[in-house]
Amino acid sequence: MLEAIVAGLAALATPQAVLFMLVGVSYGLVIGILPGLGGIVALALLLPFTYGHELAATLALLLGAHIATIWGGSVTSILFKVPGAAKSLALVFDGHPMTRQGHAARALGASATAALLGGLMGAVFLAFTIPIVRPVMLALGPSEYLMMALWGLTIIATFSEGSLLKGLVATCLGIMVAFVGMDPVSGTPRFWFGNVYLLDGISFPVAMIGLFAVAEMMTLYVKGGAMVDRVSGEQRSTVLDGVKDAFRHWGLVLRSSLLGLWVGVLPGVGASVGGIAAYAQAAQTSPTPERFGKGAVEGVIAPDATLGANEGGGLMPTLAFGIPGGESMAILLVAFLAMGIVPGPRMLTSELDLVFSMVWIVVIANLLTALIGLAISSRLARLPALNPNVMIPLVLSVCLLGAFATRGLIEDVVVAAAFGVIGYLMNKYQYSRANFVIGMVLAEMIERNLHISLGLYGEFFLFTRPITTAMLVFIVVTTALPFVRRYRRSRASAAGNGS
Amino acid sequence: MRARLPCLLLIFLATAAGGGAADAASVRGEIVTLLSPNSAGGMMTRYARMIAPYIARHAGARDVRVRIMTGGGGIRGANALWFAEPDGRTIAFTSVTTLILSQLAGSEAVRFDATRFVYLGRAATEPRVLTVGAGSGIMSVRDARALGRPFVFPSQGTDEDFYSMAVLADVMGIPLKVISGYDGNADTALAVIKGDGDGHITGWSASQAVIEAGDEVPILTLGPERYPDYPDVPTALELVDGASLEAVQAIVNMLDMRRGFFGPPDLDPEATAELRAAIGAALGDPQLVADSVAQGLPLLPSPGEAEQIKIAQITEASQHLVPMLRAALEAIR
Repeated sequence: MLEAIVAGLAALATPQAVLFMLVGVSYGLVIGILPGLGGIVALALLLPFTYGHELAATLALLLGAHIATIWGGSVTSILFKVPGAAKSLALVFDGHPMTRQGHAARALGASATAALLGGLMGAVFLAFTIPIVRPVMLALGPSEYLMMALWGLTIIATFSEGSLLKGLVATCLGIMVAFVGMDPVSGTPRFWFGNVYLLDGISFPVAMIGLFAVAEMMTLYVKGGAMVDRVSGEQRSTVLDGVKDAFRHWGLVLRSSLLGLWVGVLPGVGASVGGIAAYAQAAQTSPTPERFGKGAVEGVIAPDATLGANEGGGLMPTLAFGIPGGESMAILLVAFLAMGIVPGPRMLTSELDLVFSMVWIVVIANLLTALIGLAISSRLARLPALNPNVMIPLVLSVCLLGAFATRGLIEDVVVAAAFGVIGYLMNKYQYSRANFVIGMVLAEMIERNLHISLGLYGEFFLFTRPITTAMLVFIVVTTALPFVRRYRRSRASAAGNGS
Repeated sequence: MRARLPCLLLIFLATAAGGGAADAASVRGEIVTLLSPNSAGGMMTRYARMIAPYIARHAGARDVRVRIMTGGGGIRGANALWFAEPDGRTIAFTSVTTLILSQLAGSEAVRFDATRFVYLGRAATEPRVLTVGAGSGIMSVRDARALGRPFVFPSQGTDEDFYSMAVLADVMGIPLKVISGYDGNADTALAVIKGDGDGHITGWSASQAVIEAGDEVPILTLGPERYPDYPDVPTALELVDGASLEAVQAIVNMLDMRRGFFGPPDLDPEATAELRAAIGAALGDPQLVADSVAQGLPLLPSPGEAEQIKIAQITEASQHLVPMLRAALEAIR
């Protein structure tokens, strides 16, 4: 194995591989920052340029670009409330409040470091858990995926402060929007009003661009003044504070990374669900859950660590079974086949050098992304303080262009604008937009896996599948925990007042 | 406003002049729009982009421009082609199988009659295969029939594999339980490997890794002939006869037409001949063949005339097929 580890690294020590890695990471950062575009688009655009080069260099280009998009997506979520991709959504919840409070540099530092630590854990996992991943994958099924989606759904309580009813209304609206289009089980068109555009449903990235970015620019225009009141350069904390935060919350990073690995390993569980589930566990296990949604740095660390680790996990089923763990991995699989690599269990024996080259690529790409990220974070943190006369047209044009670029449909631009109005009104009347998108992203996963679980395991599957039952108990306990803590605190303070 | 009016008039006249030129049927020197009703990064669009410049070269067209028009699982693009001028300047490239099945199954969004499109040539196809889990104990269609319980078929939804399996189960007497809602081929493959499902239908290349690893076993090929790599695996056509053979032949024809070029109904005969010749020549161009190998996009061309004959056979068999497809759809609804 040691030989394979060294050989894997040596394959990347060529000028072409180094150059391709640098190009891939830089390109990935740019694509990640553009709203609506993410790893899938980055890989799809690169594919035609990957023929006829060194194998390791080509992998460095593809994987490097893919990994860099993750942090790129986090940047716009934190600074402008514009999720770069669907999976960066959870970064909006606390990252942007930190920006508003003058802690943008710290948030970016924490984000880059958490993604790096998560990515490194993902790489280590990929290297050393090869023998045990197969039984784990075979043990989990649709009923466990369903539990994971339900876990994500429990987070709506966090965003329903003030009125749980408003929180539930927002979630239900999100679920209803997710129902537009063909249902994933029988292909029956729903809420399509005879319009073929609606048959594909409302694109999630497009809706997010509208709900957050467009709505935010509308609010900014109505209120006047800059997005962040503080003048440029007057940050209340530094990038280094963010780096320290990530290390200080090492337990959270570890938990979130493990969650990310798990999500990556399981085909059928998207990274956007992983980000929300990571956020949920961070809020539910925090001694001060009331800080979440208002600028808690843990709300930035958890999703980024999960997204960073997700890639190592996602490579595993792609390599071990030839089954891609997600859409990006499916594109990577196409590239593998074109390069003459036939994924499958043999990869883990006869092609171990190549597997370790990929492990090293994950490590190096994460390091490069974090280094570039940390170097530019303090400058990026000044952007939200831009004059609104510059900022609003700039952000709006990039966002609407991003909405168009997701599928190349002009209708998506109209939908983004419409969701902008919805987002503005929701914000004005205090209906949580976070709950809306959580409902939207989890609805399909719940519907899909509930249906499959009922079909496969019968109506009592919650109690006949031990892992599912254990996960259900875990969800109930972690959901109840903040309420129990709050109850204890109120009793303690009542007792304190009494004495 | 006054200043704008002459400009608008000019644009209108220019457009009208362009429209007038459409009467000429040849595509030589013209710009041809190639609709790709599939996603920008998807396999189908990659094929379209790879082949388009060669069609332009062999047709003498000024350019063949790929226009992505996603929506409704390819239906939006096909609807657009249905209403396009039959002058050869708008053609499409997509999974013909999906279009025909959408129509036969009575999809509400379909505005076209797929049997009336003019087929210009097939670029590629590969046989689809019914594979079962290695631990399922099933080694043949006979085993699947004699399970003593329904054959559990994990499916993505109402795609071509779902419809193909519904027809196969019907004509071969296999009791079937479809569990639909899986998220793509990876998800159905894992369900079969785990034993949640008995078997699924997939493309031959996609199944290669799991078959070689011993996780899945192929029991049936849905192609016109046995696949050379697995000579012991029978084709569905070998196992049926009479009216059942007609239905299976129609399904095999549809699957065999997968990545194809086609034009609007009543496409001008001169443009049809030109485009069929150009597409045939493009797909035989040694440079394109080398590109396709380098990009991992294998070609398996078939002339437009042959594809048109398959369409006629499908139309003939549709009387038997339609009730089966609609019953399968009703069953999962």
